[in-house]
Amino acid sequence: MARSAEVSAIEKTLLQRQLPSGGWSFFRSEQASLETTCLAGLALGSASHRSAVSTVRFLKASQLSDGGWPAFQGDSEEAWTTALALCALTVLNETSDESDRALRWLQGMRGKEGHWFWRWKFKTADRHVRFDPDKYGWPWVSGAASWVIPTAFSVVAIKQFTVCNRSEVSEKRIHLGVDMLLDRACVDGGWNSGNSVVYGVPLRPHVEATAIALLALQDERRSELIERSMAWLKKEVARVDSVSSLAWSVLSLFVYQEAVEALKNRLATIMRDGHDIRNSATLATAILALKCGEMIHPFEVLR
Amino acid sequence: MNVDRRRFIGSAAGMAATAGVAAGWLWPKHSVSYRRPRSCVAILNAAEYSEKIDTLLMDGLRLFRLNLLGKTILLKPNLVEDLPGPVNTNANIIGAAAHCFLRLGATRIVIGEGPGHQRDTELVVQAAGLKSHLADRRIEFVDLNRDELVRAKMKANYSGLGKLWLPRSILDSDFVVSMPKVKTHHWAGVTLSLKNMFGIVPGMKYGWPKNLLHWHGIHESILDICATVPIHFVIADGITAMEGNGPLQGTARELGKIVLADDPVAADATCARLMGFDPLRVQHLSEAGRFLGNLRADRITMLAESLEAPIRPFAVLPDFHYLLARTDM
Repeated sequence: MARSAEVSAIEKTLLQRQLPSGGWSFFRSEQASLETTCLAGLALGSASHRSAVSTVRFLKASQLSDGGWPAFQGDSEEAWTTALALCALTVLNETSDESDRALRWLQGMRGKEGHWFWRWKFKTADRHVRFDPDKYGWPWVSGAASWVIPTAFSVVAIKQFTVCNRSEVSEKRIHLGVDMLLDRACVDGGWNSGNSVVYGVPLRPHVEATAIALLALQDERRSELIERSMAWLKKEVARVDSVSSLAWSVLSLFVYQEAVEALKNRLATIMRDGHDIRNSATLATAILALKCGEMIHPFEVLR
Repeated sequence: MNVDRRRFIGSAAGMAATAGVAAGWLWPKHSVSYRRPRSCVAILNAAEYSEKIDTLLMDGLRLFRLNLLGKTILLKPNLVEDLPGPVNTNANIIGAAAHCFLRLGATRIVIGEGPGHQRDTELVVQAAGLKSHLADRRIEFVDLNRDELVRAKMKANYSGLGKLWLPRSILDSDFVVSMPKVKTHHWAGVTLSLKNMFGIVPGMKYGWPKNLLHWHGIHESILDICATVPIHFVIADGITAMEGNGPLQGTARELGKIVLADDPVAADATCARLMGFDPLRVQHLSEAGRFLGNLRADRITMLAESLEAPIRPFAVLPDFHYLLARTDM
């Protein structure tokens, strides 16, 4: 009960930060960010019909002509945020023409190593980073290579949206994305941005990237790698005091049926009424984590 | 004279190719030049990160007679990851710099960084130990990965990027101070004040890492960014530096220096020499010496300690052996 009052206070704080355009920015700016808007819409959508409606309206108005969304208002180039926007439309029950166009955009977008020439280059001449270029996913922005977080969100978005009617193209991209994530995992489990071994030296995983990658793999076979990554995340999150990493860990561990109450309590203690959390995307993610189990999980994939 | 069609087309193509190559050499790739007749550098000896750094830094800054009255200063440290070891610019130096600039008349200090690997900026700021230095309300931290963005036309064209979205906090500041950690870098050779400016490129637009810049060329992107956002001053943390497989997996190297400079090229050239490298062999630094500042030692006035090459140069990965200066430097 006490936590529900705290969550209401945090929701109120987030709601107060909504821009007249219907979107949200990361910090106090008039320039709406798609990431923040999607997360805020998901966080407030279940409690406030008005928020859900304004988020959907904002998303529909800001979709670009070929189906993608930019990273922020004012940009004319599509970005990885298309995956988040599709998740938001699906969870907010707004499966319309905009969602179909987003799906087509995601199906067509690929990291630069998706082109045979770059695959050939990475296989023959550029071997400093260990990865299999045949396994590619999605980039942050067109013209770059595939990375873990945009790939994970794209996989979740396609899995969610096509759960009842999955085409061969979608199935193929999901498999390729999952294979890419498994290939880019760090040596002892977990993920960072996507470089597991550079110049022969293993790099360390990150909490947030690991949590998000695990969300994309939630309905896959529980391989030894996934188990190792979960174990790493559970161990590592115990020493983390950052709201964002903590919140993503709660969201991730929850879909694996792991106990998250203690983490939620810790998160609530750090958050208080949310006023000190200046980053609105972090605030929204924290609400989603604190309400985990009490509302539709925005990144859960139905089997 | 009879010229058949095939020969004519061949000749025309040859001339066009020659003209293209010549244009590349002759046409300037930058529309600005920040190089002055002379630049000043101060090498300060500091054996450790202690409270004495405030005094040392203040004395060093006074050598430059900076006019900072009423200005907003943007400190751009190098905060990369929440990793142990000399990965990030030390928080005591960042805090000391902030307080020194306030004492020198600045009204506001913005510490701005957009980590390129770790998306959770709060985690990096916590791990770097910066939080305690943000208690003064005149000192603010800005996450450059998520700041409001403004589209800026590049003032150099090495990368072909043309335009870049950049954080408003950077563009609105009066005085930009690059505060690198002195490190080797497994793509760029070194990461010093110029390479440090990669961190102003917003992840919100370009991702983590800022991979699009890599595709356009790391050295080329560095030159374009530093032409567009000039660095006014450098405070390089070389007390505990990093050698080998930097910027994350290298090993600590006790250099015992803080390098101050009113010119980023002079700062980086000096740091490179302190590392035992030939600055002319660092690709972006060599080119930066044409328009971003002074590379040549005879154009740099040393205000404090003299420059001495190290007894043992910094260790480098095999791909970067070419950086090492000849011993007769």
